[in-house]
Amino acid sequence: MATVTIRNLVKRYREAEVLHGINLDIADGEFVVLVGPSGCGKSTTLRMIAGLEDISGGEVLIGDRVVNQLEPKERNIAMVFQNYAIYPHMTIYKNISFGLRTARLPAAEKDRRIRAVAEQLELTPYLDRKPGQLSGGQRQRVAIGRAIIRDPAVFLFDEPLSNLDAQLRAQTRLEIKKLHQRLGSTIIFVTHDQVEAMTLADRIVIMRDGHIQQIGTPTEVYDHPANTFVARFIGSPSMNLLPGAVTADGGLALDGNGPIAHPAARGLAPGSRVLLGVRADDLRVQSHTGATDKAPGLQLSGRVSVVEPLGPDMLVYLDAGLDAGTQQVIAKADTRQTLRPGDEVTLTAAPETLHLFDEQSGKAVAV
Amino acid sequence: MKHLYNRLSFQQKKAYWAWLFLAVPILFFAAVRFYPTINAAMISFTDWNLLTEGKWVGLANYERMFTDKVFWKVFANTFLYLIVGLPVSLTLAFVVAYYLDQVRFMHGFIRSLYFIPYLTTAVAMAWVWRWGYQPAPMGVINQILSSIGMPQQPFLRSPNQALYAVLAPAIWAGLGFQVIIFMAGLRAIPETYYEAARIDGIGKLATLWEITLPLLRPTLVFIVVLTSIGLLRIFDQVYNMTVDGQGGPLNATRPLVLNIYNTAFKDFDMGYATAQTMVLFLVLLIITLIQLRLMRSK
Repeated sequence: MATVTIRNLVKRYREAEVLHGINLDIADGEFVVLVGPSGCGKSTTLRMIAGLEDISGGEVLIGDRVVNQLEPKERNIAMVFQNYAIYPHMTIYKNISFGLRTARLPAAEKDRRIRAVAEQLELTPYLDRKPGQLSGGQRQRVAIGRAIIRDPAVFLFDEPLSNLDAQLRAQTRLEIKKLHQRLGSTIIFVTHDQVEAMTLADRIVIMRDGHIQQIGTPTEVYDHPANTFVARFIGSPSMNLLPGAVTADGGLALDGNGPIAHPAARGLAPGSRVLLGVRADDLRVQSHTGATDKAPGLQLSGRVSVVEPLGPDMLVYLDAGLDAGTQQVIAKADTRQTLRPGDEVTLTAAPETLHLFDEQSGKAVAV
Repeated sequence: MKHLYNRLSFQQKKAYWAWLFLAVPILFFAAVRFYPTINAAMISFTDWNLLTEGKWVGLANYERMFTDKVFWKVFANTFLYLIVGLPVSLTLAFVVAYYLDQVRFMHGFIRSLYFIPYLTTAVAMAWVWRWGYQPAPMGVINQILSSIGMPQQPFLRSPNQALYAVLAPAIWAGLGFQVIIFMAGLRAIPETYYEAARIDGIGKLATLWEITLPLLRPTLVFIVVLTSIGLLRIFDQVYNMTVDGQGGPLNATRPLVLNIYNTAFKDFDMGYATAQTMVLFLVLLIITLIQLRLMRSK
């Protein structure tokens, strides 16, 4: 077990810089997820920690040792790949034993460990089989087995669930989380799926174009996104972002809609362009006739365009504002409400659920 | 007819068209391959010599083969070409492909250097090599040997060296093709297998033996079978590099195909020539089947 420290890490491919000096401190036993769209540099970062990519600038420390120049095997890490990277011509037993190849252990001890790991991962019945005879989820467990048998300081996962179907993905996700709780080892996990990031991580690192956008616990990044990118990326459906401007009296006027009071707007110069963020879950949908109370916070009228039932609740897509059709807003509503396309409704949201961003920079405006 | 066709199921219609198109190559093959093969098998039981009508001699041609010293010498030569040529050419081709695969600088140029001999006519190359094997100062190879202080070698003039001297250009000519096939096989192995091995700390040699080579098995089967067939049928190089195309000296380089050619078109002994052809055919068939079985089973 060990900490991992990344200092001003830079990656260049010839002229193109793809990672622009990122900093990250990972505590011992922490489960950190690097998440972002493809090309954001998350896999490159992981591969640099693993020693599979040269480091163009900055430092990677595992424990208190700088590992920049060390071969992967000298870094005491284990890695699980997206395509599993288990060898099709070897039995499961042999595949798992590969993780122990270089370990100086008596053969009997190796055998004992291999069987123990297989038992843990429920792979015992398959030890003599070849990977071709196993399902995708079982193969991924073999890959995990090969990693944990080495008892490494740090586990690296590179999109390990991407090749699994939805049901198996949820199941394997749970297994990885249990594994972490049991082993307590440091894990760095790369994914493009924000749901995986939210469910697994102690801390999430959101990346984009080779920069870190925000580091925080799942709750922090969900409740207090640092900028509009994080606001859109984390949470499903994406956060609604409504353009508007600060009014002369320190309130807020959404484009094509009436003014609302917002405490944060007071700190901004009148006329400043802003984006008001509100999550679908925080919006209440009220049919027009019922909307009589004048509560503080956001009030928005709109027309229902599409309704997507999800079971316990439903997603309502609305054309909101006075110039209908220019702004689409997504809200979550109770399935007991009967809403049809074309219905005129009012959306409300409590003031504490609203987020404010600078339109120019996209940065969150502190409340 | 149209009525009948319309009553077929989709599956049957598909089969109908498939067989219709397949009929062309099948008929062609029957005419230019199967018929002559069967005909040759028939001739091997006669004493036909092109001039007179051949008469049935039963197994006489095959019995003659057993007591024919030249035939056994030639038979041994043929296998020597295979036994020496196969491992040498495969090892060379693999080593070249393995390292060429890791080279980016001038990759295409180097690859074409290896491939050009494969495109060149064997006759021209054989004569260039024959020339190279001459004593210095005519022969380049002997000249190099003497310039570095080594004794000149007789090469094609020596019954002990001639076979290997003939084999060398044959291996060289096939190398380019084998390299290309090996590289395609190497490229098909996912990079993550090697990365996983690096993380597990598996050495280069162990990676080669336990990961690369086993995963190359299908490629290996393909190259081994094709190369074996090629070496067992070696002809052009021997015919063009030995005096009067006789496979000398003292039959040291003469392979089965050349012997068949001489029996047929110098001695006009068609019955005996076709009998040897049948033996070659059987040998090729058996070796290919054994190789396929051996390399696929595990």
